[in-house]
Amino acid sequence: MGTIVVGVVLLGIVGLIIRSIVRDKKQGKSLQCGCDCKHCGGHCH
Amino acid sequence: MAIKIALAGNPNCGKTTLFNALTGSNQFVGNWPGVTVEKKEGKLKGNKEVVIMDLPGIYSLSPYTLEEVVARNYLINERPDAILNIVDGTNIERNLYLSTQLMELGIPMVMAVNMIDILEKTGDKIHIDKLCKKLGCEVVEISALKGTGIQKAADRVIELAKQKQSMKLVHAFAPEVEARIEQVIDLIGNDIPEEQKRFFAIKLIEKDDKIADQMKQVPDIQNIISLMEKEFDDDTESIITNERYDYISSIINECCTKNKEKKLTTSDKIDRIVTNRWFALPIFAAVMFLVYYVSVTTVGSWATDWANDGVFGEGWNLFGINSLHIKGVPEYIEAGLNAIGCADWLRSLIIDGIVAGVGAILGFVPQMLVLFIFLAFLEACGYMARVAFIMDRIFRKFGLSGKSFIPMLIGSGCGVPGIMASRTIENDRDRKMTIMTTTFIPCSAKMPIIALIAGALFGGAWWVAPSAYFVGVAAIICSGIILKKTKMFAGDPAPFVMELPAYHMPTVSNVLRSMWERGWSFIKKAGTIILLSTIILWFLMSFGWVDGSFGMLEAEQLDSSILASLGNVLAPIFKPLGWGEWKMAVAAVTGLIAKENVVGTFGILFGFGEVAEDGAEIWGMLAGSLTAVAAYSFLVFNLLCAPCFAAMGAIKREMNNKKWFWFAIGYQTILAYVVALCVYQIGTLLSVGTFGVGTVVALLLIIGFIYLLVRPYQESKTLKVNVASVK
Repeated sequence: MGTIVVGVVLLGIVGLIIRSIVRDKKQGKSLQCGCDCKHCGGHCH
Repeated sequence: MAIKIALAGNPNCGKTTLFNALTGSNQFVGNWPGVTVEKKEGKLKGNKEVVIMDLPGIYSLSPYTLEEVVARNYLINERPDAILNIVDGTNIERNLYLSTQLMELGIPMVMAVNMIDILEKTGDKIHIDKLCKKLGCEVVEISALKGTGIQKAADRVIELAKQKQSMKLVHAFAPEVEARIEQVIDLIGNDIPEEQKRFFAIKLIEKDDKIADQMKQVPDIQNIISLMEKEFDDDTESIITNERYDYISSIINECCTKNKEKKLTTSDKIDRIVTNRWFALPIFAAVMFLVYYVSVTTVGSWATDWANDGVFGEGWNLFGINSLHIKGVPEYIEAGLNAIGCADWLRSLIIDGIVAGVGAILGFVPQMLVLFIFLAFLEACGYMARVAFIMDRIFRKFGLSGKSFIPMLIGSGCGVPGIMASRTIENDRDRKMTIMTTTFIPCSAKMPIIALIAGALFGGAWWVAPSAYFVGVAAIICSGIILKKTKMFAGDPAPFVMELPAYHMPTVSNVLRSMWERGWSFIKKAGTIILLSTIILWFLMSFGWVDGSFGMLEAEQLDSSILASLGNVLAPIFKPLGWGEWKMAVAAVTGLIAKENVVGTFGILFGFGEVAEDGAEIWGMLAGSLTAVAAYSFLVFNLLCAPCFAAMGAIKREMNNKKWFWFAIGYQTILAYVVALCVYQIGTLLSVGTFGVGTVVALLLIIGFIYLLVRPYQESKTLKVNVASVK
């Protein structure tokens, strides 16, 4: 039972991470610095 | 309906500081020109009906730069209800040049004379009442940094916006010029609002080719321009500029009283030493040495030991008291997993994979935060602007300009924005070379690798971390020299003009904000892309073939894993560099996903060994598998080789050409390999006396490298001018 619970929680976390990465990518945000690189002039931090 | 207020002014006049104060926003404020490139929007604190727009800093409304285009298009097309024109009181003459153009847009305007506190110190005086009369608009004194006068400025500009009355010009150019402007105004059609016609007429006279994009009907005024140029014996753009400066001179004469007993300001005194021809470089070297030494070796090392060995290790004692022992994160998680009866394989995935990998990276967060505090302080106080100026003198000798230093400065946080900052370099050759070399400066993701090698392999030696920074700088300089001698990059570097802002003590909140933003992006990355990488690595490491059957492996069977098989294919490539073991090869390759992964991979691979074997410290086991020279070779390779995938993507975007992209990646990787090879082979020769084929190859490479550095520069015999780029 514990294995199933932990496995589901872990899968949920992985799903959320992938979703956030895909969403950031679609919005043109950098995976590395989280900045809005699509519209960036290079002066973000 | 919302009231729109635009903040407009010269670069580094304090717009973003005022924007933060008015909106409660937390945009980064840097003490160098050009921090804001895109416009930013926020709502006024206490009055959500008022929208404040922070425009990028500009010197004029002529489209010379990207920032000027962004600001001008916004003002013309969006037509805010009012403009709050921020003027640096210590440089009022130059700042008024933009003001004279803003007033021509017909938008109601309030002028805020900023840095009034500095003016008081210098003894200069601006007579606000006289300035009001001369300009024909309301003027208020403010200090955006100290927060004085900003409420009054906000109240006045809102009041003016509500009145919706167009700005009325009180000044006029010379009668002959005014007559020509009137002629052009008459030719402009009704698609342009009445109050903007003068602005458009002047821009047409100035032969501003981009203004036509904003007009439906463009009148032919070539005759008027020819007549004017004949009449004044000058080009029309210069005629208008002269007229503006005549007007500005009359304002300065009437409204400003300069302190006659002018003493050197504190900034001038500091600059006499800091930018001195002889002292500038040693001071810069000493500053960067101190930054890296303190961040990695002293304060940072203490904090990271606590995080690595305590929080993500075997626990720590609160206030050093033994009875107040707090368990480490892995212990808590393991206890929790055991309590709910989690299967061994899942427990291994979480503890040996995720916690070991992500924890190894998070353990370096304290060191990173210390480094970020230093970098934020140096940027915000104004020193980094001086460094660009100092580096210009050095870089120019090696084919780059000081402008290339700005991307490198930003690249010390993250390579991606650093590469993108190269957009501000107009010269295509300089821009390409800057893109290729920016990632040589260690970014924050490479910091854990530096700290790990310095701590685990060199016992926290004082010189390792600063040397990593200077290896990066040396790689840039040598690349500049070598590449400038090739046909692709030959030519003089573009001139570099940069305003040096006055030094000021940065606010604690600004420094902490910058530190947090950088630190948070590091932590966020550890929790996303690194976490996913650790899961994949764990699977590759935990499964493999033993005695012909595939399955989950025991800890001592690590060498039979899929990861080991893959690593063994790559390992021979790195053998001449001194780290031909598969674990090291895998770490270097996973660094391409994100550089932090190098440390994360060590955490998993050596952490896995710790559980299985004798319980030795993870980093101690790493130290046992490498010699000091090989470790430094590994460090150099990871510092200089192709950056992470995201930075490679940025290089591809900015190069906008596949051949150039592969040339950049190839150059970085080959340079890294050659330097790491030479470090290992020559280092081994000097330390142990080993001489072999590798040593001969390294010596030949050094001779070749020296030849490329010193070979004569061949000037191009033909002059090629790209007419389209000159226009």
